[in-house]
Amino acid sequence: MKRKLISAIGVAGMMISLAACGGDNGDGGDKAGADGYAGETLTVWVMDGSSPDQWQKDVAAAFEKQTKAKVKFEVQQWNGIQQKLTTALSEENPPDVFEIGNTQTPAYAKTGGLADLADLKTEIGADWTESLNESSIYDGKQYAAPWYFANRVVLYNKKIWAEAGIKDTPKTRDEFYADLKTIGEKTDAEPIYLPGQNWYHFVGLTIGEGAELVKKDGDKYVSNLADPKVAAAMETYKKFQALSKAPKDKDEATPQQGEVFGKGNVGAFIGMGWEAGIAIEANKKIEKEIGYFTIPGATADKPEGVFLGGSNLAVAAGSKKQELAKEFLKIALSDKYEGELAKLNGVIPNKESLQSNLKGNVVAEAAAPAAAGGGTTPLIPEWAAVENAPNPIKTYMTAVLNGKSPAEAAAQVEDEFNKRLAQQQ
Amino acid sequence: MTVQTERPPSGPVDVAKRDESGPAGPRPRAASRAAALTPYLLLLPACAATVLLLGWPLLKDVLLSFQNLNMAQLIQHVTEWNGIDNYKEVLTGEDFWRVTLRSILFTAVNVVLIMILGALVGLLLARLGKRMRVMLLIGLVLAWAMPVVAATTVYQWLFAQRFGVVNWVLDKLGWHSMADYSWTSSQMSTFFVVTVLIVWMSIPFVAINLYAATTTIPGELYEAASLDGAGAWKSFTTVTLPFLRPFLYATTFLEIIWVFKAFVQVFTINGGGPDRLTEILPVYAYIEGVGNQHYGMGAAIAVLTILILLGLTAYYLRIVLKQEEEEV
Repeated sequence: MKRKLISAIGVAGMMISLAACGGDNGDGGDKAGADGYAGETLTVWVMDGSSPDQWQKDVAAAFEKQTKAKVKFEVQQWNGIQQKLTTALSEENPPDVFEIGNTQTPAYAKTGGLADLADLKTEIGADWTESLNESSIYDGKQYAAPWYFANRVVLYNKKIWAEAGIKDTPKTRDEFYADLKTIGEKTDAEPIYLPGQNWYHFVGLTIGEGAELVKKDGDKYVSNLADPKVAAAMETYKKFQALSKAPKDKDEATPQQGEVFGKGNVGAFIGMGWEAGIAIEANKKIEKEIGYFTIPGATADKPEGVFLGGSNLAVAAGSKKQELAKEFLKIALSDKYEGELAKLNGVIPNKESLQSNLKGNVVAEAAAPAAAGGGTTPLIPEWAAVENAPNPIKTYMTAVLNGKSPAEAAAQVEDEFNKRLAQQQ
Repeated sequence: MTVQTERPPSGPVDVAKRDESGPAGPRPRAASRAAALTPYLLLLPACAATVLLLGWPLLKDVLLSFQNLNMAQLIQHVTEWNGIDNYKEVLTGEDFWRVTLRSILFTAVNVVLIMILGALVGLLLARLGKRMRVMLLIGLVLAWAMPVVAATTVYQWLFAQRFGVVNWVLDKLGWHSMADYSWTSSQMSTFFVVTVLIVWMSIPFVAINLYAATTTIPGELYEAASLDGAGAWKSFTTVTLPFLRPFLYATTFLEIIWVFKAFVQVFTINGGGPDRLTEILPVYAYIEGVGNQHYGMGAAIAVLTILILLGLTAYYLRIVLKQEEEEV
């Protein structure tokens, strides 16, 4: 009966293999790029959808011409980026240059993972728009360079709106709601695709209400979700979400809302201008039907508040190619290529003087009116932890959409939210 | 016989055999010393692999659990020892105990379902004719061979809210309120999907093992039983079951371990959501550790998870070791 002992030992072995799950913090990297070889290669991480192929090709060509080095762009997804970035920065060969969300920049600046770019700022950053550069500065030092900014617009299917007999795009929130209702009544289409956790749009609504997501309590930050102004923003969200069949517990990326819209049976969705590309990729025929308009606010004179999403470019403190990385930034952020990016993607460039590139761009023209009233999540290092899954704000949204009162939902997630804001760093 | 050799690493199997080859007959001295060394040399590769692949991560995990390791410390490679702070925070928090209880209940429900359904399928295999048995075996092996992530993805598609087959079928069957049902919207429905997935993936292992075990039962015993007037049920309880008992023990405990650490299925289906309500211990360790970039805390939870699992299986290890002593 030795086999019983054997199986007992086997059982013990299985248990120990559990340890492998807990302890793995992603050592043993998988850095691509031929580091240290003749003809150096600079690795640059850009986020999904942020820079068009054409731009990457042009910048790479200019970079190679000037430095004789190659640049390798690696596209990353927003979901789970913080974990991936932290691990990458701790490794021997981090990406030399990487795109980092403006709301995440302060936290990474604090970790010491970002190189000081003071000299770059003096050299090329004298006329960066001050409000856009705010997130790159931590403790008085320049830790990143502002790259581009963008806010959400309404993307709509012109064919469906015409079918419903709507002639003009709405100018107020009530008109917008009425139009969507009409679409629901007169066509077979889903009026709007709005998943329950499009939290960037929700943040925009809170900005429109003049609400803050966190407040100071002594020397630390705590949840401010119980504020009636936040509740008002959530009520607006809920009203529009009720017109959608989209899942209440998913965000705009699962499934990609552009893909759903691309099927041609959705009246509108709230998203970034470049998400139209996703729709077109899913269904070529949709291209000529897509229109854009500013998210309407409570009154016609002021558009809805928007989350002013943006990205900075940073250099890894651990990169062995500091100089080359700065050369890259000088080219990528030069008027020529910063302007090209603005033009191709319809995003707000980092200098006022480059805004002329947006003329004639339908997306940018729809986005621009709201940008002035835009804002961000709090620019504090503590914020980054809040965005980690499961994001308590997303939990709050789903709870309200599933029938809880905003106050109840705020109370429900408060502990988790505060815990993250107080998280030891 | 296959029970013990299917899943555990090969190392321990050799360990047990060592005793048998040890006390050999009288031999010349030098030769016997070499002979005595041989088994240890043969053991070496397996032991080295085990230490390297299991022992080292375990040690690292324990070390991490006594450190304050977050984004900044990881990026700058600094080691900040903080004693038992991580354990204190985990053990005094309400979350950990809630998740532990949930893990145990989750494991219990799954293992009971797996064992009952698996045993039934195993007995069915023993009764089937040759052709059907081969068909069923192929089906079982295919389900078993499916990589976990692939299987989980298929289940996500099956249970998708808008375009999932399950909702479509329920709708066609006249259950119209299920047409747009979100399976991941509540704790119980998420657990339902995860349980179906895990049970489905585990049945083949149990079924094939038990089928193998039934082939070792001598046919004469059934004849004798029927001569004594035993019916189908009686001969099952007096002949089949006693033979299967050790196999049932072993598979049950292997399944407990397997379900208890079913990270991939739970995490991939709904990320421990909604609202962190389906987090079991390994998922909790991951979300606190990697997700919230609180690596020391995650390591502490992982260590506690191992201890809890040791506790759960201690009973089994004890009865096995006790039997061993009696029989030696």
